[in-house]
Amino acid sequence: MLDLLAQTGLNAVYAASYISLVAVGLVLIFGVMGVINFAHGELFMAGAYAIVALYAGLNVPFFLAVAAGLLFVGCLGLLMEKALFRPLKDNPLGGLVASIGFLMILQALAVMGFGVRMVHIPPVTQEVIAFSEKVRLPVARLYVIIAAIVLLSALWYFLKRTKFGWALRASAQDPEAAALQGISITQTARIAMFIGAGLAGIAGALTAPLVSVNPHMGHSVIVTAFIVIIVGGVGSLEGAIVASVAYALVHTFVTTFWDGVLADIVGLSLMLLVLIVKPTGLFGSADRA
Amino acid sequence: MISKIVKSGLTRRTFLHSTAAAAMSAGLPGASLAAGSTIKIGFLAPLTGAVAAWGKPGLDGCEIWAERVNAAGGIKLGDGSHNVEFVAYDNEYDPAKARTGATKLIREDGVSFIMMLGGDTWPGVQPVADKTGMLFSTLLPSDLSPDTNTLIAPAEVHPIYNVTGVEWLAENKPELKTAVMCAQDDALGLPSVATYLAAFEAAGIEMLDDPLLFDPATTDFAPVVTRLISKNPDIVCLDTCYSDYVHPIAEQLFQQGFKGQIISCTADFYDQMIAKTSEEFMEGFVFQFPDFDDPALNGDNINFTDPNGFFAEFNKRHPGQWGAVSWEYASIMDLWKAAAEKAGSASPDAVASAMKQGKGKHAFGDADWWGTELFGIDNALVGDWPVVAIEGGKATIKEFRSIPDWYAKHGDLLVKHMKAYDQMWDQRS
Repeated sequence: MLDLLAQTGLNAVYAASYISLVAVGLVLIFGVMGVINFAHGELFMAGAYAIVALYAGLNVPFFLAVAAGLLFVGCLGLLMEKALFRPLKDNPLGGLVASIGFLMILQALAVMGFGVRMVHIPPVTQEVIAFSEKVRLPVARLYVIIAAIVLLSALWYFLKRTKFGWALRASAQDPEAAALQGISITQTARIAMFIGAGLAGIAGALTAPLVSVNPHMGHSVIVTAFIVIIVGGVGSLEGAIVASVAYALVHTFVTTFWDGVLADIVGLSLMLLVLIVKPTGLFGSADRA
Repeated sequence: MISKIVKSGLTRRTFLHSTAAAAMSAGLPGASLAAGSTIKIGFLAPLTGAVAAWGKPGLDGCEIWAERVNAAGGIKLGDGSHNVEFVAYDNEYDPAKARTGATKLIREDGVSFIMMLGGDTWPGVQPVADKTGMLFSTLLPSDLSPDTNTLIAPAEVHPIYNVTGVEWLAENKPELKTAVMCAQDDALGLPSVATYLAAFEAAGIEMLDDPLLFDPATTDFAPVVTRLISKNPDIVCLDTCYSDYVHPIAEQLFQQGFKGQIISCTADFYDQMIAKTSEEFMEGFVFQFPDFDDPALNGDNINFTDPNGFFAEFNKRHPGQWGAVSWEYASIMDLWKAAAEKAGSASPDAVASAMKQGKGKHAFGDADWWGTELFGIDNALVGDWPVVAIEGGKATIKEFRSIPDWYAKHGDLLVKHMKAYDQMWDQRS
């Protein structure tokens, strides 16, 4: 039983890692730009296809391909900011609708470029860290865990300790006041989109060899990310991380000890419970919700 | 005028229904074709979207089939030879789009037969089938019911053929005594769960746990696999999981150190699974869909024309895309062609009637029209089915086994488990 608990714990840590990368990116975009980016799952998918094209297709070293994936998807984020969100910033639903259109475009491009079927990606490594015969952590999963810790720590440092980070937080808290202080709202929006999209992209890139890469792989990711940010508090980065860990633990343990379908129901019930008890989410503030 | 009709006892609903039926019937092509004209066959399946892998490769196979038939002189009917052409409509696995597609194929394209994947899309199409009498085929016999007179399931009797794999395992690897199973919780997964449970019970293999069902949106299978192997089973059964699930589950089984037997309905792109695990790990993996370059398909019992050549041509045109459905729609066309030539007509009624006279020429051997007990109608073609195992990195047919023989011995078990999972035709909503 101890082995089973330990293995399930490792599984949960991995799940929390990639979910938090995606959710934090989504929260950052919403926090700074006030846009619910429905295409965020497809940015995750775009990161995975960067690995398909570069690592599986052109034999580019994996970590180089991951870095390229981050840049590529970050640039997609910049494109979205310039072409979709900035022109529609005065329309309350404009960004949301435009992001839905953009997700369809990304899906169609993936279908046209790579076909409808899942794409094979060679394993990055088959090494496994064996804590015991039944407690094993594949090294490819460890990469995702390490990347999440490093990137989220770096983001925390950027937001709390750098001038650009302060500008970003100021824009998120009160855009008008930030603008009056000389902060460029357009510039902070660009930075937020690049980082937010890049986090989704790197999550997709790192997990690509571990999941089935297909044009519709973003669906389940975006649903999970929305649950997480609602539980954590819309607009709260800390909330997104805490909720990612909580959701991953609950979902993984319920799947392992009861049932995968029940795990989804429990995950959604968790969200409903939080909404009933604290409608703003665990770390959300009333003015953002 | 309408009020008079209503007063006469005809309800508005009946009037509209009848009018729609008349309109549809008016659009149905006549039973006869112009001499030498091309016979059009409808291909109504998902060609894009999440389920496209169960449609698009089938259309690719049909295009090869049509070229070969046309090169050999076409389809010989009473009024001479006709070339054949496929008209595709992408239903995106959406019932409403499937209904629109069926109407368009019948009224605008004048097709003589429509092939579908079936499943969730059939309820959208059934009213069109009822009104027009068009002959449809499905890959999923769970679409069949006593009301589906013009629907046939001539390629595969999913999931019943899965019993042959378990039966073969029990006979050839008697040391395997225990099993666990996982499946996606959907219309393909659940009847297959019931079938595997019946097969394991019939084979005397003990289930160590209830089948573990997971949401079809699942992407991380580590928790599923951790649960599956926690009880040290001899066999892990992957049910009728889609390729998107089979691959990561197999990889997780490998990474979490499982060393037992794996059985699955499909193992599409198994070479990729070997690349992600190892040849040793995949050795002996049992499933149900052969590569068509298998020498066992050159036997006299096989009713698929030149399977090895078909496989080679398919892989030449669509490298790496061969899968379970690549040959199935084409095999349905073999059956349809034989029936049309026997009837001397491409009319749906005549073909359906000719098709069901005597034994059917199923790809894996002569077979019987069957299904009343499970589907409420004898519109499924059932006979032998291959058991395939991976040996030395290559899918190899180990044996053809009879589904009717298994059912004669253990049919009660199958019915029992199907009922327990609400999968009998009269239980499905």
